[in-house]
Amino acid sequence: MIQLFNVSKHFGQNVALADLTLRIRQGEFVFVTGPSGAGKTTLLRLIFGAQRPSDGAILISGINLGRIRRAKLDLMRRRIGFVFQDFKLLSTKTAFQNVALALEVTGERPSIIRKKTRQMLRAVGLNGKESLYPPELSGGEQQRIAIARAVINEPIILLADEPTGSLDPDITNEIMLLFRTINLRGTTVLFATHNRELLKGTDQRTLMLKNGRMVQEPPVSSEETDP
Amino acid sequence: MIPRLWTYFIRRALANIAEQRFIHLISAGTITISFFLFGAFVLLVVNLNTWLLEWGQSLSMSVYLEEDIGEKRKTEIREALKGIPDAELRGFVSKEKAMEALREAFGAQAALLEGFKKNPLPASFELVFKETDFQTLAPETIKKELEGLPGVVEVQYSEQWIERFEGILYMIQAGGFIIGGLLCLAVLFITTNTIKLTIYARREELEIYKLVGATDRFVKTPFLIEGAIEGVLGGTVALAGLYGVYGLVSMKPLYASGFPILKLVFLPPGIALGLIVLSLILGLIAGLIAVGRFFN
Repeated sequence: MIQLFNVSKHFGQNVALADLTLRIRQGEFVFVTGPSGAGKTTLLRLIFGAQRPSDGAILISGINLGRIRRAKLDLMRRRIGFVFQDFKLLSTKTAFQNVALALEVTGERPSIIRKKTRQMLRAVGLNGKESLYPPELSGGEQQRIAIARAVINEPIILLADEPTGSLDPDITNEIMLLFRTINLRGTTVLFATHNRELLKGTDQRTLMLKNGRMVQEPPVSSEETDP
Repeated sequence: MIPRLWTYFIRRALANIAEQRFIHLISAGTITISFFLFGAFVLLVVNLNTWLLEWGQSLSMSVYLEEDIGEKRKTEIREALKGIPDAELRGFVSKEKAMEALREAFGAQAALLEGFKKNPLPASFELVFKETDFQTLAPETIKKELEGLPGVVEVQYSEQWIERFEGILYMIQAGGFIIGGLLCLAVLFITTNTIKLTIYARREELEIYKLVGATDRFVKTPFLIEGAIEGVLGGTVALAGLYGVYGLVSMKPLYASGFPILKLVFLPPGIALGLIVLSLILGLIAGLIAVGRFFN
């Protein structure tokens, strides 16, 4: 599903990621953790195709991101959802419009956009709040909109960069539950967080990064089967 | 591209214009003024051309005679003029009649002519060539032949005026093209910057569109449509304004002055449509430059 081969990323003299090799299987839920500046965001951005690696190769479902054309990368992004700590919602658009725009870019029929968006807002627990604007909603509700927008195109991968970073513990648990539900439907989830509390008691695979290097990751053998 | 996306793009372009209406109003206003000035030049050239064509349909010739020409020689010249094919002798203008016409032309300043002790104007015969093909007629040859007749001082024909007029027309045309070119550049510059401002105001939205998998074409097309709408709007309003001014100018005063040559015509449909197409193309180019610069 996601394969990185000796991936490095430099910003001038700064090394954001160094010689990273890993494989994430379809349907996995993987935590990416480490202190600030460890390279978590860079890793997600590289997988998303928002940046190109300085060295190495990244394959998504067998497609080398370094070799596809920009137009194809845009189409591929419809199958990779991204959730941010700061939600990245448009404050001038309603909850409904924020979610719907992910379908609009695909050229979907307006009637289907309306139907799917309502369903998705219901699924993330925002029924009845379709016409509210982000500033009128709580942090947790805004993050639910962002998640709804990220998964409405039924992505095969969901990348989350500190999605609970600005939320209180109760809301964090609700959001975590939402991510797990999405993962149970078969979506591969990469969840970047520096919050160690989230990792307690979890049996999910955890990648620990420090100074751009993997410091805790058991080697993945090719014999391992997908869950 | 999916056809229904075009409806979506047009809606987004109109929403962009509505949201940034003040900037777009200034931009469309500038396009209107530029195209109005350019259109006015084109209108001037079209009218001058029309007048030139009307004048060119008949050629008139004045045959000026020596000061103290005798009746016999005058008759000989008259007979010679009657013998010219396609020519119609319109009459004889005596020295006195010529002075009288000049006095009328001078109007209130006619007193200036009192200073002449002797009438300096020559008598002349007036000839007209009707429905003539000037290329076969060769007025220059006729002029030279007539100037060779005893008693003839000089021959002038209207073609000489037309040639001079054509020279002025070419100068106006050249000036119009230069000014038109400069105005087009100004339109491009202003529209490009207006669209860049719109893009800048929506950069957060565009970033999110890209995050959810919007193609470059999806993001860029509404801005191109925005440029085209702005261009066409400016061009159309300019033409409407020009038509209004044309209507006012061609109403009465010029006809009342009694000069048939001042009959005004408006831009032919082809040229008017051409101006709107030009405004559309300029708007599109401005959109392309703006999105190209921003997205690169």
